[in-house]
Amino acid sequence: MDERLRAREKQELPEESTRPGLVFRPDIDILENRDGFVIYADLPGADDKSVEVRFERGMLMLDARPATDLEPSWTPLHAEYRLGSYHREFRVSEDIDPDGVVAKMSNGVLELSLPRSAERRPRMIQVQAG
Amino acid sequence: MAQYSFYRPWAAASWIPLDQFRREMDTLFDRFGGAPARPGDWRGVFPAVNLYETVDAYHLTAELPGVEPGEIHLSMEGSTIVLEGERKIDYASQEETSLHRREREGGAFRRAFELPAAVDADQVEATHRNGVLMLRLPKTAEAKPRQISVRAS
Repeated sequence: MDERLRAREKQELPEESTRPGLVFRPDIDILENRDGFVIYADLPGADDKSVEVRFERGMLMLDARPATDLEPSWTPLHAEYRLGSYHREFRVSEDIDPDGVVAKMSNGVLELSLPRSAERRPRMIQVQAG
Repeated sequence: MAQYSFYRPWAAASWIPLDQFRREMDTLFDRFGGAPARPGDWRGVFPAVNLYETVDAYHLTAELPGVEPGEIHLSMEGSTIVLEGERKIDYASQEETSLHRREREGGAFRRAFELPAAVDADQVEATHRNGVLMLRLPKTAEAKPRQISVRAS
C-alpha cells in the first residue's frame, strides 16, 4: 500500500483574466458539526493580512494574495509548483449567521468557522414526566 | 489513511521554460524519496519543491501548508538534503462531525535531493513561514565560481 503523501497540482482558474498573475483554486476540506460548518483551505504563503473573506448574497468569497519571498537574483533550476494568488467561492447555506463567521490563519491554512444562526441550531427538547 | 488520491497530471506544462534545464538537472538532482515512476517524474510527490540558485547559495522552497515547524525534520548527508515529517489532519477524533468535502490529505512525507554542488551543511538556514519552508544552502568555497583576472603580459 502506498501511503506516501502526494501533492496536488495547483488548479488554475481559467476564467480569471482581469488580474495579473496566476490564480489558483485552493484545496479545501468542509466539515459540519453541531454548531455549523468549518472550512479549511490550503493557502501556502499567505498570512492573515493577505487573505480576504467576503460574505455576499449567500456566497462566501475567499481571496488570498501571498507576498513572494523570491529574490530577483535567484535563478530557477527546478520548479514543481507555481506561485500566484488564490480564489474560491462557496454557496453558503441560508442558515449561516454572516456576522458569526470567524477566520483564522495558521501555517498557511485558513480555518473558517461558519456558525448556524442561533434559531437554526439543533436543540434538545427536555422530556418531562407527566 | 485515505486511499483516494487527488493527484491530477500537470497540464501540458508550458509554464516551465525550464524543460531543457530540467532534463539536465534530472541527472544531477535525484529524488530518492520521491521514487519517481519514470525518470524525472516528480509530479504529485509531497511536498512540491522549487530550487533556485544564486552565485553563493542554493535556495530550496517547499509548500507545506498546515505542517507545524516542529514536524519538519531536515538532515544533510554530503550534498544530499533530506526533508521529512508529517502533515497531521485528524477529523476522526472530532465528535459529531461529518465531512462534506475532502481535498486536503495528511500523512508522512520524505524527500531527498542531491544538490548540484557541495554546500556547507553547518551554514544551512531554514525558515518556515505561512506554510512555506525556505532553505538557504550556502555553497562551499570550492563550489563558488571564481573570477580569474586576465593580466596583460
